[in-house]
Amino acid sequence: MKRNTAGRVLLYAGLIIAAAALLLPFYWMVSSSLKANNDVFTIPLKWVPDTFMWRNYGDIFAKSGMTTWLTNTLTLSVTVTLLQVLTGSFAAYGFSKVRFRGRNVLFLAYIATIAVPWQSYMIPQFILMSKLHLSNTLFSIIALQAFGAFGVFLMKQFYETIPEELSEAARLDGLSEYGIYWRIILPLSKPAIASLSLLTFVSTWNDYLGPLIYLRKPDLWTVQLGLRTFISQYNAEYALIMAGSVLSVLPIAIVFLFGQRYFVEGITSTGLKG
Amino acid sequence: MATTPLKRRNALVGWSFILPNFAGFAALTLAPVIVLFYVAFTSWNVFGKARWTGTANFIRMWHDASFWTALTNTLYYTSLHIPLTLSASLGLALLLNRSLRGVAFFRTAAFFPYITSMVALTYVWNMLFSPDYGPINSFLRFIGIANPPGWTTSADWSMPAVIFVGTWREMGYYMLLFLAGLQTIPAQLYEAARVDGANPWQRFLFVTLPGLRHTTFFVVVIMTIGSFKVFDLILLMTEGGPGQSTLVLSQYIYQKGFVENQFGYASAVSIVLFAICCLVTIFQYFVNRRWND
Amino acid sequence: MKRTFAAALGVATAITLVLAGCSSEEDLPEAKPFPTGPVTISLAGWSLSTTPEFKTLADGFKALHPNVTVELKEYDAANYDTQMTADLAAGTAPDVYVLKNLKNFTTYQDGGQLADVSDVASKLGNTVGGLSGYQVNGKSYAVPYRQDSWVLYYDKDLFDQAKVAYPDGSWTWDDYAKKAKELTTGLKAAGSTAVGTYQHSWQSTVQGFALAQTAGASLESGNFSYVKPYYNRVTDLQASGAQPNFGTVTTNKLTYQAQFGKQSAAMLPMGTWYIATLIKQRSTGDANKFNWGIAPAPQFDSSTTGTSKTPVTFGDPTGLGINPAISDGGKVTVAKEFLAYAAGEAAAKALAGIGITPANTSDAVAATFFALDGVPGDALSKFAWSKHDTKPENPVSKHTAGLQNVLNTLHSAVLSNSKGIDDAITAAQTQAKNEVLNQ
Repeated sequence: MKRNTAGRVLLYAGLIIAAAALLLPFYWMVSSSLKANNDVFTIPLKWVPDTFMWRNYGDIFAKSGMTTWLTNTLTLSVTVTLLQVLTGSFAAYGFSKVRFRGRNVLFLAYIATIAVPWQSYMIPQFILMSKLHLSNTLFSIIALQAFGAFGVFLMKQFYETIPEELSEAARLDGLSEYGIYWRIILPLSKPAIASLSLLTFVSTWNDYLGPLIYLRKPDLWTVQLGLRTFISQYNAEYALIMAGSVLSVLPIAIVFLFGQRYFVEGITSTGLKG
Repeated sequence: MATTPLKRRNALVGWSFILPNFAGFAALTLAPVIVLFYVAFTSWNVFGKARWTGTANFIRMWHDASFWTALTNTLYYTSLHIPLTLSASLGLALLLNRSLRGVAFFRTAAFFPYITSMVALTYVWNMLFSPDYGPINSFLRFIGIANPPGWTTSADWSMPAVIFVGTWREMGYYMLLFLAGLQTIPAQLYEAARVDGANPWQRFLFVTLPGLRHTTFFVVVIMTIGSFKVFDLILLMTEGGPGQSTLVLSQYIYQKGFVENQFGYASAVSIVLFAICCLVTIFQYFVNRRWND
Repeated sequence: MKRTFAAALGVATAITLVLAGCSSEEDLPEAKPFPTGPVTISLAGWSLSTTPEFKTLADGFKALHPNVTVELKEYDAANYDTQMTADLAAGTAPDVYVLKNLKNFTTYQDGGQLADVSDVASKLGNTVGGLSGYQVNGKSYAVPYRQDSWVLYYDKDLFDQAKVAYPDGSWTWDDYAKKAKELTTGLKAAGSTAVGTYQHSWQSTVQGFALAQTAGASLESGNFSYVKPYYNRVTDLQASGAQPNFGTVTTNKLTYQAQFGKQSAAMLPMGTWYIATLIKQRSTGDANKFNWGIAPAPQFDSSTTGTSKTPVTFGDPTGLGINPAISDGGKVTVAKEFLAYAAGEAAAKALAGIGITPANTSDAVAATFFALDGVPGDALSKFAWSKHDTKPENPVSKHTAGLQNVLNTLHSAVLSNSKGIDDAITAAQTQAKNEVLNQ
């Protein structure tokens, strides 16, 4: 019993130190967001502001279109996440549970495109999107992000761990493939859906290059694009930039805090008899 | 070979599942990627017509010392970044996959580096690494190291520094995927192993690892591709310097394309990067298959 | 076989769809007389809310031609060229666009994205600087409206504190280095932590001067030995502590605005755009309030020093060019008229009135600039601002962008002490010869 308590204490001490190390840059962001602009980069590093400039947060809402940016980003992130999870998990079912010719080649094509750096086909893609009159609309980002190969791959790998006997039994019960997907497989893949949703949400939220190329009208800007434009506009106003960065991180932190509860040991073990 | 009705029906059902995603994917990603393969064999400056030059871009690459430097650096980054991140993220996932008071907080903390703005994060790490005034070197001097490394400002230490920050940033991301994978391992298997008298290490080796193989394959593939394509992190931390000590392929592609406006050549380099990723992925696929049997 | 055929068809469609539609070199629509009815031309700009120059030009032109509206299209300041490249490629770029620096001018000109505006350029007076930068084979493809050049900013209060005499326009780089060291010692003796000078991390702070001031120096020659004395001076200043070293500047992301504005360094070689910034930061409290002035950039040797000579410095002009995809002849005439206006004296005065250094620096323009509140009024500052021989930082050539990348590698290698200057020059010359100049 005693060894156990000591172990617990050690574990917590270790975890707390590790957490502090992980959160350090974020702490610096918060502290810098409360400094005067020309005090952000100094030698040596300053961890606590000389005077707390709370008005930086007021200023950023006054000077920038933060409210519009947050609305746009939220719209995009939610739509993209929904589409990615829906179409991705749907397609993954086709790739892992239905056998047909050309399946593996097609799947390879999916994964292979992940390996091509976006910078190199960005211009052809932009020309194409402009021809389709999609550039300078929020649809361009949705179209760009929602049909990626990442989600298909992730979901397929997860489905592979679900024993084939489950689907077989359902087939014998007369369920169609769509029924199996909807009634059996989907409910079993909560952890995978949770992680795909979180990762898609974060990557859409933090995407910068996509919005930079496609969204030129200021009322379409996302948080990341708006912030960086803000940086180049107000060259040396680093404290404001940090305040903006803190604001852009908080929503995802909250989403994560709620989303992580789907990773609880044993949540799915009842349904699987492997 | 004659197609049986069952096979045709299967193909139809299969396609109906894939189509919603595939339609968007083919039109918006696959088509431009195919164009890229064409452009790689041309001289193209974005504006005018692409002029067919055959294999000229690839021959040029063969004699291009900077390309080889970028390739070597990319391999350097990849070969250290993958094992480090893989073990760190798996370790974190195992550590945080339990009922522990405050586990939500610790998971969030581990994921935080990934969501913190890359710009802010590289600012902080650069300051921590600052050779003369940074806390890291102050500490090293304090424990008696008279000449601590110059980190991001030294040709020898810039790559290790960048790899470290890369691992630190991404381990929470892959931890999340491992956490999802751990949920698929039935608790009964652990029970059975315990009854058989397996110690924790044996349980890890014979229950956890095999149970995670689908997740591990996914993580390794995505991580490999991600490491080969590393771009933002290096651009923001060192801009490829000092000298060419951290110049990687993605940055080289960007430089040739957007800075020097040689999109044909940049596309050719992309194709090489793509081919390397494919080879490694196929290799991993076969290793994974073998492991499954 | 059907499948293969379908796939091939798909591939072919994709390629044609993307590439065939690309605008290629086209001739401008035939010029028509200046329209009398309402007409709108579009103009590219960046950071519109903090960069008033575009609106100043648009409003000034509207005042002259009430039937013309100049519509501003906003771009991102840091990624202007990436966005413009995409827009030009897709045919969605505005009628008139800005050439932010000379490095990318070749890209646009060579790619057929700039209309010939020789007729506009030939009518501009000789007070317009930087015109020649936009000429290719005797034709002009853009006209400059602003021309910043590099000068030496100095903090009079810190000079007084260190008991060092102010610059008088007679300095060579050796004098500058000597003074930087004297300032550092003097400031230390006076109990200040400030140092002699601050040199920002950009390659231009060393190479721009070396290229402009060294006789016979040329990027295109592939011979970079001309940078050697300039780098030796900087590494010596770094080692002696008279300026923050390169590693500290890059890792601590030091900004020149804070280093000079917060009085951490007594001198700062920088472009004239910083005048407006410094004045603004003094009023917002981001910079301290102290006495300052500008002096001509230090020179290669004494042959160009002193206020009776013309100091040599560098800087790229900012220009305007016309998109050949412009839709009709009437707009071509309007666009050309707009270019002529922007490079002319009336626009120059308007620009000088908002703290910008225009390409046209006639005496009247200088008077407007120095009448601004906060601009130092001493004779040397006026001399430094209005009289100089400004060489382009990026001479026009298709190799410039590639060569600058090679030289940037040299810059970070030498200043971080990863390589000695001789080794770095040899490496850069080999790289230039094998990877850039042979293309």
